[in-house]
Amino acid sequence: METRLLILNADPVFQDRALGIFDEIDDTETRVVRRLPEAVSVLLAENFDGFVVEGEAAIALEQATNARQHFPSLNIICLAPKPHDEEFISVAHQQKILRVSTSGGERSLRRQLHAFVRSLAQGGIPAEGIDPCHSLIGNLNQFSAAEILQMSCLGQRSGRFTFKSGRGNSEIYLAHGSVRHAVFGSLEGESAVAEIFRWRQGRFYFEEGIISQVQSVDRPWAHLLIDNLQKLDETMELSATGPV
Amino acid sequence: MRDKIVETKLRLLTLQLDNWKKLHDVITYGLDKTKPMISAERERQFTEIRANLLQETEHVFEELGILSELSGRAMNVLQRCVSVRGVRELSNEEVRRLESEWNGVFTKLGVVQGQLKSRRKTLAGQTPLTYYLSRLFPSLQPARR
Repeated sequence: METRLLILNADPVFQDRALGIFDEIDDTETRVVRRLPEAVSVLLAENFDGFVVEGEAAIALEQATNARQHFPSLNIICLAPKPHDEEFISVAHQQKILRVSTSGGERSLRRQLHAFVRSLAQGGIPAEGIDPCHSLIGNLNQFSAAEILQMSCLGQRSGRFTFKSGRGNSEIYLAHGSVRHAVFGSLEGESAVAEIFRWRQGRFYFEEGIISQVQSVDRPWAHLLIDNLQKLDETMELSATGPV
Repeated sequence: MRDKIVETKLRLLTLQLDNWKKLHDVITYGLDKTKPMISAERERQFTEIRANLLQETEHVFEELGILSELSGRAMNVLQRCVSVRGVRELSNEEVRRLESEWNGVFTKLGVVQGQLKSRRKTLAGQTPLTYYLSRLFPSLQPARR
C-alpha cells in the first residue's frame, strides 16, 4: 500500500533537498502545497499518512503547531535548518512533532526521512467488517459524527460508536446520553472526539449496551459539541483563506 | 522500479501546472464582468501566483527540456497580466490572444505530464535488472500495444 505524504514547502522548486529524497522512496505518493491554508484544505478533503512541514525553523514550527491544533492524530514532521534550540525542542516534543535537521549531511537526512516513511507504512489500518449486533450503521458523508452523536445523546443512549475511515478506526463510548470515553490510535478523550468531528468520509456503527470501564471524557456533551464545532469552524476558516 | 529523475520532473511539472491553473482561475474571475468587486486579497493572490510563475517557469521548463518552446509564450502571458484589474481592462483582441497563449502553455505542459506518467507506469512494471537488460538488448523489449 502507498504511503501518502502532504508536504508544506513555501519554495518547493528551489528548496527541494528533502523533496528530492522523497522522490526516490518507493511506494510513496507526495503532494506539495505552498501555504498552510492550502494544506489544511487538502487535509480536510483527503487522507494522508504524514504531514511534512519544511522551512525556516520558527516558521515551520509555527505551521506544524498550527496544524497539530486542527489535526490531533496526524503524524507531523518538521524539517528545518537548525531545529536545536531549547524552545524548539520543547514545543516540538509537547506537540508530538518529529524534528529533523536539514543542515546536516545528505546521508543523515536521507536516513531520517526513510525511517519516517517506514514508520508510517507500518501503521496499517484494520479491515472493515459489519457485525450483526450493530444497531445503527451509516456513512459519515451523509451524517456527520456531530449529527449522529447529538441524536444518540438526546436519546439517552448507552453503547459504543465505531468510526472507520481511511484515517483509521476510532471508538466513542456513550453512557446514558453522555460521552464517557473516546479513543483513536494513541489519542484518548476529548482530543479523540475532536479528531472524529473532522472526518467527512468513512462509516459508523453503533452497538447498544456496550459501556466502557474507562472514563476519559468528563464534560457534558453540549460543551463538547460547541467547542468542537467552533474548532471545526476555525479549521474551515483557515482552509478558506487559501489562494483561489 | 522508481526513477528519481522522472519523479522529480513530475513533481516540478505538477507544481507548475497547478500555478497555471490558479492563474487561469484568477484571470477568469477578472474577466467576469458580473463580479464587480476585485478585492485587495484577490490582487494579492494574483501577485503571489504571478511571482511564483515568474521565478520558477524558466527553471522548470529547462529541467523538462521545453524552455525554447514555451518560454516566449509563458512570458507573453505573464507580461500581459499585470493585475486582476488590468486583465479586466484588456480589449477583446488582447483577451483572445492571452487565452490562446495560456492554452499553448497549458496544452504542452499537459502533454509532457502524460508522457512522464506513461514513463513512470512503464518503469513501475520493471525491476532494475529487467530495466538494464532492456537497455542493453532493446530487441528483447515487449512490443508496445
